[in-house]
Amino acid sequence: MNALIVTAVLGVMMMFSSIVLKRNSAIRMLAIVGLLFTFIANVLDSSGVHFFSINIKGMMHFDQFAYFFISISIFCTFIFFLLSAKEMERIGVNYSEYFALIFFILCGIILVASFTSLLILFLGIEIISIPLYILTGSDKKNLKSNEASLKYFLLGAFSTGIMLMGIALFYGSTGSFSVENSVVIAATTSPMLLIGILLLLFSMSFKVSAAPFHFWAPDVYDGAPTVFTSFMATIVKAAAFIAFIRLFSLAFTPLQDRWQLIVAVIIALTLFVGNITAVFQQSVKRMLAYSSIAQSGFMLMALLAFNTFSVEGILLYIVAYSISTMGIFSVLVKMKDSSLEEFNGFAKHQPVLAVALTVFLLSLAGIPLTAGFLSKFYMLKAVMHSGNFLWLIIFAVLMAAVSVYYYFRIIQVMFFKESDSNTIIVSTSFKWLLSALAIIIIVLGVYPQLLLQFLV
Amino acid sequence: MPIYYYIVLAIVLFCIGIVGVLVRRNAIIVFMCIELMLNAVNLLMVAFSKMHHLKNAAINASAGSDGQLFVFFIMVVAAAEVSVGLAIIVMLFRNTHSVDINFLNRLKH
Amino acid sequence: MIHLLQIDISKAVNEVENAGSYLPIAIQLLLVVGLIGLMLLASHKLGPKRNTSDKLEGFACGIESHGDARKPMAIKYFLVAVLFVLFDVEVIFFYPYALSFKQLGWDGFWAVMMFVGFFLCGFIYIIKKGALQWED
Repeated sequence: MNALIVTAVLGVMMMFSSIVLKRNSAIRMLAIVGLLFTFIANVLDSSGVHFFSINIKGMMHFDQFAYFFISISIFCTFIFFLLSAKEMERIGVNYSEYFALIFFILCGIILVASFTSLLILFLGIEIISIPLYILTGSDKKNLKSNEASLKYFLLGAFSTGIMLMGIALFYGSTGSFSVENSVVIAATTSPMLLIGILLLLFSMSFKVSAAPFHFWAPDVYDGAPTVFTSFMATIVKAAAFIAFIRLFSLAFTPLQDRWQLIVAVIIALTLFVGNITAVFQQSVKRMLAYSSIAQSGFMLMALLAFNTFSVEGILLYIVAYSISTMGIFSVLVKMKDSSLEEFNGFAKHQPVLAVALTVFLLSLAGIPLTAGFLSKFYMLKAVMHSGNFLWLIIFAVLMAAVSVYYYFRIIQVMFFKESDSNTIIVSTSFKWLLSALAIIIIVLGVYPQLLLQFLV
Repeated sequence: MPIYYYIVLAIVLFCIGIVGVLVRRNAIIVFMCIELMLNAVNLLMVAFSKMHHLKNAAINASAGSDGQLFVFFIMVVAAAEVSVGLAIIVMLFRNTHSVDINFLNRLKH
Repeated sequence: MIHLLQIDISKAVNEVENAGSYLPIAIQLLLVVGLIGLMLLASHKLGPKRNTSDKLEGFACGIESHGDARKPMAIKYFLVAVLFVLFDVEVIFFYPYALSFKQLGWDGFWAVMMFVGFFLCGFIYIIKKGALQWED
């Protein structure tokens, strides 16, 4: 609860900071300090120090998993600010508003991580989505950004409509909005409930960009300003996953056998479409968009098995995936355009960055000794333990092998191609930060308990 | 009146909305169709709320009121979406002088 | 005695399922449509037809209209319209509060005050940003 109120108030403060503070660096400082404070508030909250006492009437429940995920997303946002907050200046004049919107999105993330009522789920998803529509279109003169924003808006609102229909049917058959097993068990025979669950499943797959509802994602990720793409494709996506998993694990387990096969098919399709299409992309930004679709296939596996492996796996996956993707994007932001040729001979100009990028790409591809490998392994192990869907595991491993191709293409271009003298300028602190992130990825890949010990 | 009438009406409205979103090419009309979908849901929620109230009024005097409250939230969120959506459409119109979504193909390679 | 435009309440409660209880509404609808149709038809048939340029012009409260309706408008109108939609609909939350004003007591009051406070923050923000300034 602490973090929720702190982020909401901080969002309002950031809104007004553009009027009070004149210098961009001051605004940035305020945002970073505010985020640190939010992190501390959340950690204190999880250890029993509550700043506020508010009766939430059973609409939200903060368990240890929710606290942990909120901490992770605040931490990732913190890294995002450190890596790319400076780049936001280039997009437009409304510098502090971008921070305000990001704080509001964090507010929504906290809602979806802790809901126990469908009302809070709906509000959380909308509080995440609406600021994102604005951030996507924040590059006002750029037609691509405009187009991405309109597309995202229309399709996002459409999927919200479908989700609401699902919620209405759920309400009609159960008479309650609360997300509990007992509510569902009382109405298992109702066909209306089944249709409602199906609609919720579709709209949530839409939000996490799982195939066949993924078609908006490449366009939107490509058209949005790169800085915000890195935020959207990582932290926001992770939050959508948590909402998805929370909804289905809390409420719909009694009807598991009815929807699990559909989820398995969606996962297989997502892995296939994401990986195969990514192979053919020439732009790195678009390639990363497809890779994020492919990675969401693995993350969705947590829906097939609700056991300790999937809980640990999804958190490790979120950390590994978010840090790696943000790292790659933070370099991509600094380049002239996002074509593959930009990376030609990158290792000669920026050896430190090239090594860090290599670690990130290896982690995304799932090579052993990186966090990416271990998280994929956890997810597959979770599905294995649930007993079904052996075909899916084999298919997923196959597709992970395909993904190695397009990740290694960037590594190959960086190390073995000659460049034509275009280089990027980075500060020393940026290099240090990126190396630190690469080290985190490797350490988590060897010793994941470092992260997961906080979960108990 | 039986609840089925309301369900059928809401589903029909909802499907008109879905078909409109998929078929129409004018951004404003697509947007209106989305609003139609949301309002179909509102109608259904209110009908269900009344139904649950009649069923459970003896146990709980305020049974079913949560459905009506949900409708308030849908309306408010829809208004927020309208304002952001219209702003996006106006921004696009200022740059392209068109609101036709067939125009949106710059991102397709 | 038949009451055409009146519902017998004692009956209506029991027979709400019965389509017959909606008869008065149907009759009223028929009357409305019939009357309007009759008036339009009569004025069309009986009235003289003289077309002058003044009469064919669009009527806008007696003010002379000028220009095309599709002329681009200043962006400020859109801004005000969008802001109006936003602030107008938020008031919806006061309806349930007004209904349960007494039961909620001071807790409810402070909750609503918090809502109004956030609301006011938004309003101050748009004023400070100059969104409502008409003169440049």
